[in-house]
Amino acid sequence: MADQQNNAKVVYQSTVTAVGELVSDFRDQGLLVWFGENAPSELHEFSILHKVEHQERAPIPGDVIEINSDRFTVLAAGSVSSDNLLNLGHLDLKANGLTEAELPGDVNVEVCELPMVKVGDTLKVIAASN
Amino acid sequence: MGEYKAVTIAAGKGGWGGPLTILPTDKKKYVYSVTGGGIHPVAQRIADMTGGVPFDGFKSSVPFDEIAVAVIDCGGTARVGVYPMKKVLTVDIHATSPAGPLAQFITKELFVSGVKPDDVKEA
Repeated sequence: MADQQNNAKVVYQSTVTAVGELVSDFRDQGLLVWFGENAPSELHEFSILHKVEHQERAPIPGDVIEINSDRFTVLAAGSVSSDNLLNLGHLDLKANGLTEAELPGDVNVEVCELPMVKVGDTLKVIAASN
Repeated sequence: MGEYKAVTIAAGKGGWGGPLTILPTDKKKYVYSVTGGGIHPVAQRIADMTGGVPFDGFKSSVPFDEIAVAVIDCGGTARVGVYPMKKVLTVDIHATSPAGPLAQFITKELFVSGVKPDDVKEA
């Protein structure tokens, strides 16, 4: 379904196609690693693989990342996080509450429990407003 | 039988680890580019100078024990540790240091970062 909210625009949307065995361990550390479906197999174990349906741009601070109905506000986006996502479908989503990216690939949201992700779930990046 | 030459790769500006010496062999000849947008220029240069065979990890795969070196453009969390964990020599074009869930596997003997094409030199 298209996003119904006023002034909200979905700039990225994908669907989860596989969830690696170690994803829940990484989640316990406040981290979800995402890759496009064509990522090499050695990355699958700890990754959520997803298929892009729509991409205009990667998340920037102030955007909302939505995983199904859970919403997280982006606090920081590292210098290579945009290239990672747009070229490789790769996202390092960290619930660390930091407003500056510690590592260039990081996308930070508030400290919270990240959701258990399963096949068929939806990832969206929603621009705050236009 | 291929003919191979060794290169030395030192950490670039702000980088960490290394220097690594890369010498492909017939059994370990692949220069593995796990990067966005095809074979990265650093991987291409390593392949050109060593006689190794470049390939794009997002398009095909080879067994780990046939990889001479992995070239990544990792922002510090995931790929940065995967290849060192498998004892594969790893070159990150970004200037990262050991971090992330796999940081324990990232050592100076296996990993070098911040690498640009000019940091790859004849051994």
